[in-house]
Amino acid sequence: MENTLLVIVLAPLIAAILAGIFGRFIGRAGAHTVTILGVATACVLSILTLKQLVTGEAQNYYGNLYTWLVSDGVQMNVGFMVDRLTAMMMVVVTFVSLCVHVYTIGYMADDPGYQRFFSYISLFTFSMLMLVMSNNFMQLFFGWEAVGVVSYLLIGFWYTRPTAIFANLKAFLVNRVGDFGFVLGIAAVLYYTGSLDYREVFAAAHHAFAGKTMEIIPGYAWDAITVTCLLLFVGAMGKSAQMPLHVWLPDSMEGPTPISALIHAATMVTAGIFMVARMSPLFEMSETALNTVLIIGSCTAFFMGLLGLVNNDIKRVVAYSTLSQLGYMTVALGVSAYAGAVFHLMTHAFFKALLFLAAGSVIIGMHHEQDMRKMGNLRKYMPITYWTCLIGSLALIGFPGTSGFFSKDALIEAVSESHLPAARFAYYCVLSGVFITAFYSFRLVFMTFHGKERFDTSEAAHAHDSHAVADKHDDHTHGHDDHSHDDHAHDDHGHHGGVPHESPWVVTLPLVLLAIPSLFIGWFTIGPMLFGDYFGSAIVVEESHNVLGELAHEFHGSAGFVEHGITQLPFFLAMGGVFFAWLFYVKLTDVPGKIASAFSPLYKLFENKYFFDDVYFAVFAKGSRNLGQALWKVGDSIFIDGLLVNGSARAVGWFASVIRGIQTGRLYSYAFTMIIGLAVTLGWFVLHWLR
Amino acid sequence: MSFTEILFYVFSAVLVVSALGVITARNPVYSALWLVFAFFNSAIIWMLLEAEFLAIILILVYVGAVMVLFLFVVMMLDIKVEELRAGFTRYAWLGLPIALLVIGEIGSVVWVKSQDDKALGLSSVASPAAYAADYSNTKALGQLLYTEYLYPLQLAASILLIAIVAAIVLTMRKRSGQKVQDIGAQISVKAKDRVRIVKVAAVQPETGNTVEGQS
Amino acid sequence: MSANLNFVVAYPEIFVLTAACVILLVDLFVSDRQRIVTFLLTMVSLLAAAFITVQYGVAERVITFHGTYVADPMGTVLKLSTYGATALSLLYSREYLQRRGLFKGEYFVLALFAMLGVMVMISAASLLTIYLGVELLSLSLYGLVAFDRDNGIAAESAMKYFVLGAIASGMLLYGMSMIYGVTGTLELSQIANRIPGIGLNSLGLAFGLAFLVVGVAFKFGAVPFHMWVPDVYHGAPTAVTLFVGSAPKIASFALAMRLLVDGLGGAVEQWRPMLVVLAVLSMAIGNVVAIAQTNIKRMLAYSTISHVGFILLGVLAGTVQGYQAAMFYTLTYVLTAVGSFGVILLLSRQGFESDALDDFKGLAKKSPWFASVMAMLIFSTAGVPPFVGFTAKLAVIQAIIGIGYTWLAGVAVFFSVIGAYYYIRVVKLMYFDAPVDNGPIQAGVALRTVLSANGLAVLALGLLPGLLLDLCARVIS
Repeated sequence: MENTLLVIVLAPLIAAILAGIFGRFIGRAGAHTVTILGVATACVLSILTLKQLVTGEAQNYYGNLYTWLVSDGVQMNVGFMVDRLTAMMMVVVTFVSLCVHVYTIGYMADDPGYQRFFSYISLFTFSMLMLVMSNNFMQLFFGWEAVGVVSYLLIGFWYTRPTAIFANLKAFLVNRVGDFGFVLGIAAVLYYTGSLDYREVFAAAHHAFAGKTMEIIPGYAWDAITVTCLLLFVGAMGKSAQMPLHVWLPDSMEGPTPISALIHAATMVTAGIFMVARMSPLFEMSETALNTVLIIGSCTAFFMGLLGLVNNDIKRVVAYSTLSQLGYMTVALGVSAYAGAVFHLMTHAFFKALLFLAAGSVIIGMHHEQDMRKMGNLRKYMPITYWTCLIGSLALIGFPGTSGFFSKDALIEAVSESHLPAARFAYYCVLSGVFITAFYSFRLVFMTFHGKERFDTSEAAHAHDSHAVADKHDDHTHGHDDHSHDDHAHDDHGHHGGVPHESPWVVTLPLVLLAIPSLFIGWFTIGPMLFGDYFGSAIVVEESHNVLGELAHEFHGSAGFVEHGITQLPFFLAMGGVFFAWLFYVKLTDVPGKIASAFSPLYKLFENKYFFDDVYFAVFAKGSRNLGQALWKVGDSIFIDGLLVNGSARAVGWFASVIRGIQTGRLYSYAFTMIIGLAVTLGWFVLHWLR
Repeated sequence: MSFTEILFYVFSAVLVVSALGVITARNPVYSALWLVFAFFNSAIIWMLLEAEFLAIILILVYVGAVMVLFLFVVMMLDIKVEELRAGFTRYAWLGLPIALLVIGEIGSVVWVKSQDDKALGLSSVASPAAYAADYSNTKALGQLLYTEYLYPLQLAASILLIAIVAAIVLTMRKRSGQKVQDIGAQISVKAKDRVRIVKVAAVQPETGNTVEGQS
Repeated sequence: MSANLNFVVAYPEIFVLTAACVILLVDLFVSDRQRIVTFLLTMVSLLAAAFITVQYGVAERVITFHGTYVADPMGTVLKLSTYGATALSLLYSREYLQRRGLFKGEYFVLALFAMLGVMVMISAASLLTIYLGVELLSLSLYGLVAFDRDNGIAAESAMKYFVLGAIASGMLLYGMSMIYGVTGTLELSQIANRIPGIGLNSLGLAFGLAFLVVGVAFKFGAVPFHMWVPDVYHGAPTAVTLFVGSAPKIASFALAMRLLVDGLGGAVEQWRPMLVVLAVLSMAIGNVVAIAQTNIKRMLAYSTISHVGFILLGVLAGTVQGYQAAMFYTLTYVLTAVGSFGVILLLSRQGFESDALDDFKGLAKKSPWFASVMAMLIFSTAGVPPFVGFTAKLAVIQAIIGIGYTWLAGVAVFFSVIGAYYYIRVVKLMYFDAPVDNGPIQAGVALRTVLSANGLAVLALGLLPGLLLDLCARVIS
């Protein structure tokens, strides 16, 4: 088991190193072969591991492989803890990663940074695996930061674009805020339990935190466990983009689409959800923390969904939907339906990766056009993309029978069962969220794939990426633009025009691969994961919060769940959303504009994303710049540079030149120094002894 | 105070005086001779400790070989005595206090010892019993050296070896243009390489006595 | 006293001695052009010695040869490191020696004997063996320093080293005779047994101890017995400086461990204050004076002095943790120092020593990779994480805080900060100044590869210090 796990982790790392450092030697084909092999190995072995765990062939693995350092009795280890929760995450991560790897061959076909890209995404897979497989907080933090670094690198992958650089810096800074909380949370855990090891921490938690309070502001005693959980949750807020730390995620769409799918939809952003689920023994001890989680999750789910309604950039719409879905998962965490959150995480990983990759496929087909207003009726040109995207959207809105239906419906039911004070607010948020989700999802589908062809076909020229799809040109029925590839070497991403075409097989294959679990996985897994004992001891729920346990009494198989689902309110809301989307964007296409002008203040608010960015700029960015300026001028230039640095340097230099004088180079003075040293040593002893 | 002790103090005193002589004598040759004298006294003290072998070896090796070599070197080198002296008095003001300090420190130990014998810790070790008259120091030493002190003995041999190697490396040199005998070449020489027999035509008497003039 | 002669545990020493003699003989029959044979033979011997050391390594402490030889796991690890350090320094030196006409068989013989001296000190179980080891090492080193005999500076520094070394040896011997007089035995384990009976108030013991500490301090090069270090480092050919700075440091550590810990561990309260003074002075003088140097060999000499202060800190802690930290520090310091001198050798050419600080100007433009290797080594020496120098400093400081000497930890950190100045100046010269010297790097593939590996090892050990820390913890307990 141990060796298998090591191979799972190391295969992507080695592939990343090979592709990254030796990329120039092994070439493009070499780079993608080696990384895909690495990730495929990890994926197959992960699936095997999961299978063994599910069938009971293997026990949960728990062990330390290497002691990195021991400081003051605190062990910092590299080790793995693999139970079914971990195994499921491993399969999700490696499977989506594998699909994205394959997809990238087509998407990045003529990007100059081809090898670099493969190296990064393999490195990401390694980091993410380290994160989920960790058995201690230190390694969790390592993985946490490592995925952050890779995300930073990938958002700024096209580093010559100022917007990309801005976006990755923003992601980095906003994540720092979250990580700061996270580190403090880990420190609090260490402080109270004296260990970083999951097993020891969870075993000691009840005893260690019971009745403890801490005073951060003198005079206000806070419950220690609440503060700890909230700090940890701040970390999750940063990584999983919960309000108000969500601002980096929409901008991260500056990166290439495959990583939007892999990192900013399916895996990395769900690390926060995973972490909270992992920490369920801690979170269960504080109702205050759970309520906070619930409120923040509901706000994110509702308000971020609204923003999806007004955006016209195909990737950003999907990004806002990701935010909103992350909000749903957080809500599930808040009501202690950890299994529900993780279940939704899994289904979401499949269908959201699918949606992003489909969006990417559309973007390729449209020659790097991302504005939905310039699309329409693509169904005709890109059938595979259309059908897979439709499946993804159906899963997203929770159409009965799809995987999204099971996870989302279960989640909403769980919220309705909860007795937490904030549960009612959350319930309304998630309910209205269903309508909003359905509306923007199908707005995307209708604007992109149905309606009139709004793209400009008169132009024969198109962007450089026609090379990527060269093998599809043979099927091209529109004879009026016979591409001469040599003319299109120019790198013009903003260029639009030309006729869309279906993407090559390396792009569509992952779409199909992802569409299968998006449709079916919920049907098979809802029983064991939500209501069975799939997670075993990995997730701990207090009896009084056990909403899923209550739901389990009413659960009679997947078919029954579907039957029950179509009589419930969420189903009608979703159908209503789809209907209105159809009405506004296929039938009465002038209505949206009218509504926008009628509610122009509200529209403005949405357009500007609730002014979060502006406030952050005005307060934090400007403020810290001014503070820095002041400190630099007064503190640094005058005090530190002038007095401390130069002053002490001069003093030391003077001293050095004096001592240097003693080193005369004469032998007898050397010998004499030794004798003096001896005499003093002896004298010290004599005095010491005579006393 | 037994007779042996009196002897010990007498010879020790002479030893200290001769050691002082080594460093105060103006002429290096005198210094070397003082050192020879010091060795003799040390040998006698060893004798008092029943270490005859060491005593004799000291005289044979140090007096007989090392010091003679030393004297040769000193005599052959052109040492300007006055130059050597110059630093001695110049730095005396600095060296003397330190020397006195060290002497005082060691003296204090001796003084304390005379007050309380236990303090130096010497009394904690019993003085060894005297050996019988037929006891062979040499034999005992030989036995010890090749059994108990086998390892140190080998190390000492290595030290000597490395001293030889280092000395040769630092001094052996092949200068070009130097006139030295190459013994190997001399021995391996063959007669035909050296001696060439040239047939010279007989000189006719009628040309007269002009051999010198032609050459 | 173990009466039997256990030759098996001494196989490494026996082998190295035999190999050195064989090489000395073989070298006679090798012409100047085939001198590489001697070099390769030396390397093979080192490898074989390592193999033998591992093969016949002991798990428990074994004392043999009538109490003069000790074999223990610490000795095994130290010996292996010594082979490594020797092999590295010879490998780095080869081209330098060839270019300067110093590539002679005796060089390797002297180096092997010096290494044998180190091994003897590592495995010394009695005062006698310690002394013999010291002499064997010292004599070989004197010879090596003067090896470039036509070079006036080298000869001068060898002379200084010799005279000062003789004085120090005299003091060491005097101290040993005192200890022998007080305890009546030469065996370190017996001395340790008898100290409680004598009592720590014995002035004879204290006196002997003072002389011994002076001897140890001289071998380490601790202030105020450090005067030889800058001159020897500067004067000797760089290849020899490299050697002097590597394996003998392990020997000094072994000397301190055997003499002060194995033998006089009971008198820790007596020697600790002396080491505190030595350590503080070393860190102060070493770090401060290094700032004023313009020659990088001299600068590294002062840097060595300051690092010696740190090693002494670990030893003076007098706890197992402290000894482990000191051992870790010594081994990693040697690795880093070997690399730093290796870079100087790499940059040197015929008639160009590359030992002035200015010669490093603009190295980043000339050779970005070796500039970064040098930067890694320098950062490690300065104690910047994530390089191994940081872990080593951390371990030592933890050890002295462990015995309650927090102020001393403060002093150590303070002087490290001062030290960082001159280390980072080298980095600044390499990266931000225009090159003065534009000659190409002439070094061969072997030197380049091994040196690169050396630089990366400093980083790798810094990231994963656990392996070596574990090893140190296992062999000293």
